[in-house]
Amino acid sequence: MILKRTSFAIAVALLILGTAAGLSYAQSVDLLRAEAAKRTMQVIIGLTLAAYANLMPKDVGRWRASALAVARAQSALRVGGWSMTLAGLAHAGLWAFAPLHIANVAGMVAVASAMLVTLIYCGRTLVACRSKQTTTP
Amino acid sequence: MFKALADPTRRQVLQLLRAGPKSAGELAEHFPVSKPTMSAHFAVLREAGLVDSDKQGKTLMYRLRMSVLEEALMEFSELLGLNLAQRGRKTAAAASLRKASSK
Repeated sequence: MILKRTSFAIAVALLILGTAAGLSYAQSVDLLRAEAAKRTMQVIIGLTLAAYANLMPKDVGRWRASALAVARAQSALRVGGWSMTLAGLAHAGLWAFAPLHIANVAGMVAVASAMLVTLIYCGRTLVACRSKQTTTP
Repeated sequence: MFKALADPTRRQVLQLLRAGPKSAGELAEHFPVSKPTMSAHFAVLREAGLVDSDKQGKTLMYRLRMSVLEEALMEFSELLGLNLAQRGRKTAAAASLRKASSK
């Protein structure tokens, strides 16, 4: 499992580095404009984020002692997975089609919002779990 | 995975599991099918990697293990299934109307 994940991560890293090198070369020999190279890289970054976040709810981990803890962990993973996947797709879409000045800001806002949503939801879930634990006799 | 999502009972099981982990018995209560049929549904879902199970004492617990894409596909097939069912009902109603008017 760990080997599979590591090989996938290495493959993705190689793809990103290879694409960056290819784009840089294409730009140096005037095959591509700087804007197109930047857009392509950002689209790949957005799609990578979406691909990773897509698998987030599948990584359920070990079974916890209480059903409530399992349910809370599952909901946190689902919220995080959905928000980060949508943010990744939005980032890729914006960098593919929106004007550069909009894509620059909106792409970052989309990803930052998704991270914020995930963190807030995880925090709230943790607090709810802890308070339930302390109130339960 | 597509085979697992194609069946409405299995889709309903997945929807029930969205609320949190449930035992095999709790899930089976929602369906008017025999225990072996329900077990077969669970086996298909487990094989497709859409659910995860754990034996806790005598109880077999299930929880959701779906990626975002799989969940979106489930929603899509649910929507499509609903539309097909609605279309089927409409066709049946139209056929019965035709039958009644021809008499």
